[in-house]
Amino acid sequence: MTISLASALSRKRLHAPFAALGIPPSVALAFIILALVIGWSLVPGLFSGHDPFVGVPADKLQAPSIAHWFGTDQLGRDLYARVVHGTASSVSSALIAVVIGLFVGGLIGLLAGFLGGWVDIIFARLVDVLLAIPSFLLAVIVVTALGFDTINAAIATGVSAVAVFARVMRSEVIKTRQATFVEASFLSGGSRWHILLRHVLPNASRSVLPLAVLRFGLSILVIAGLAFLGYGDPPPASDWGLLISIGKDYMKWPWLIYAPAIAIIATVLSLNRISRWLRKTD
Amino acid sequence: MRNAYLNYAGKRLLQAAVVVLLAYVFTFLVVSILPGDPITNVLHDPQNAFTMAQIQEIIEAQGLNDPVALQLWHALSGFVTGDLGLSMRSSRPVATLISEVLPSTLILASSALAVALVLAGLIAYGSQFLPRRFGQGFVRSLPSLFLSVPTFVIGLVLIHLFGFQLGLFMVIDPNSFWATVFASIALGIPISAQIAEVLVANLDNESAQEYAAVARARGLRQTPLFFRHFLKPSALPVVTVVALMVGEVLGGALITETVFGRTGIGNLVQRSVVTQDLPVLQAVVSLAAMVFVLVNLIADLVYPLLDPRVKILGATAVRSSASTSDTASPTVTV
Repeated sequence: MTISLASALSRKRLHAPFAALGIPPSVALAFIILALVIGWSLVPGLFSGHDPFVGVPADKLQAPSIAHWFGTDQLGRDLYARVVHGTASSVSSALIAVVIGLFVGGLIGLLAGFLGGWVDIIFARLVDVLLAIPSFLLAVIVVTALGFDTINAAIATGVSAVAVFARVMRSEVIKTRQATFVEASFLSGGSRWHILLRHVLPNASRSVLPLAVLRFGLSILVIAGLAFLGYGDPPPASDWGLLISIGKDYMKWPWLIYAPAIAIIATVLSLNRISRWLRKTD
Repeated sequence: MRNAYLNYAGKRLLQAAVVVLLAYVFTFLVVSILPGDPITNVLHDPQNAFTMAQIQEIIEAQGLNDPVALQLWHALSGFVTGDLGLSMRSSRPVATLISEVLPSTLILASSALAVALVLAGLIAYGSQFLPRRFGQGFVRSLPSLFLSVPTFVIGLVLIHLFGFQLGLFMVIDPNSFWATVFASIALGIPISAQIAEVLVANLDNESAQEYAAVARARGLRQTPLFFRHFLKPSALPVVTVVALMVGEVLGGALITETVFGRTGIGNLVQRSVVTQDLPVLQAVVSLAAMVFVLVNLIADLVYPLLDPRVKILGATAVRSSASTSDTASPTVTV
């Protein structure tokens, strides 16, 4: 009893700065990684002294070292600089995708759940259709129709996420609409509009927010996949997926694959951890 | 009961047919209405070196000058009767192109699914049997890790480690046994994560039930408890999850086949995207949707037969995703 208490105390002291905020250490680490990634995408110049586009041919394909943290690529460009400078388009395109999915899907789910009846039936079929098409294939045909660049890849990824958001939003709205406090609000004269904004949306956002964070990570993967297949911006852009796609032709110098891959994995893993934490704290 | 089931099956079948047709219309609209003009992109592409007469011929054959509604009608009636049209690039029937590469993808997909099931089973076993302090946390965090790694990275790492370093297989021979094994591992890992998540959650749920506490109190060990009591109710919902994973397998095949240089549906899609061969894309995407809908239909129809707790309650047709409820006698509405 005493021993367990003591160990609990020491553990508490160890994690005191996070425990005060109610944040487990792994989540704190996830937030730190995320902050770093945001820093990379906002001010890449601050994090790397090398130029991502101009290489020194004499220094090509060097292993990671103090001068070049992630090594150099086949043209002698610093790989760390390329990863850092590729962050902005890799991450912001995923953000665009999530925003599209969230708004379009959220609106569909909201209307379907709140209005019910025919609107619900029509939207439910639309969502069924969107879910039936494998989401990566859906993203591929949309990006094919729109043309190959990173923004279009983001839009395509967003379209492929619409159905999931619509589904969750709809079920949340229906759940809230039947709650007693909504009935009370309606009986005491609250208009539909008032109920929608004041009660239904805030309640639904509780489970939609963790989903959005989760889909953010997933969108990074999908967009990296599209970039890997060559459906994003062409080189010399340095999207993470594109970097790996270039690296696969230089397998004898594996850091060309592993460095951008670790950037992707660390980012997505952090987002997944945060999403799970958000779900639990609700 | 019998009657209710047939009613339910009929309704689901009709619904599935409608969804497949709508999916076809949807993909058609996406490829034909969105900006990006196949005629200028493909036919007038100097790389293809079509003569003007050839271009005219292709436009005639594909009916590209007809209004969109008429094109849709022709395409849709063709689809319903099993005619998938001609490839814009090679003028061969799309159905032939697909059936040529289908076996390779089927082999990859089925072995990937097998890998996923085995991995998920191992993770589920580890989550219940490894000591809490040593290993269990690691095993439980595996699904989250697997879901954070892009499929192509898994493939490339496997090629790097086993192909280049250990020399187990040659990348130039993508259809060899080992190359197929590693391709299916690459494709199976992300899928195993999603199956394992459901399986572990269900096992935890079962193990927290009162009957489990009673069985433990009466001296039943963990192993017979796991195999005799937990496994069946926890594994049944996996049927639904596996059916949902079919879409992931088809999407993942596109990337895995590119990474490993295999021929197959994914490779066909990749080539058709690069050459903007819209009829092929349209056909593959709608067939993928059809496969997805059919597999899920079968899963939904088989599920009530497998799980006697599931009862069909007339008109309220809700998909059974949550399998076990907390009540003493779980009844799931299908």
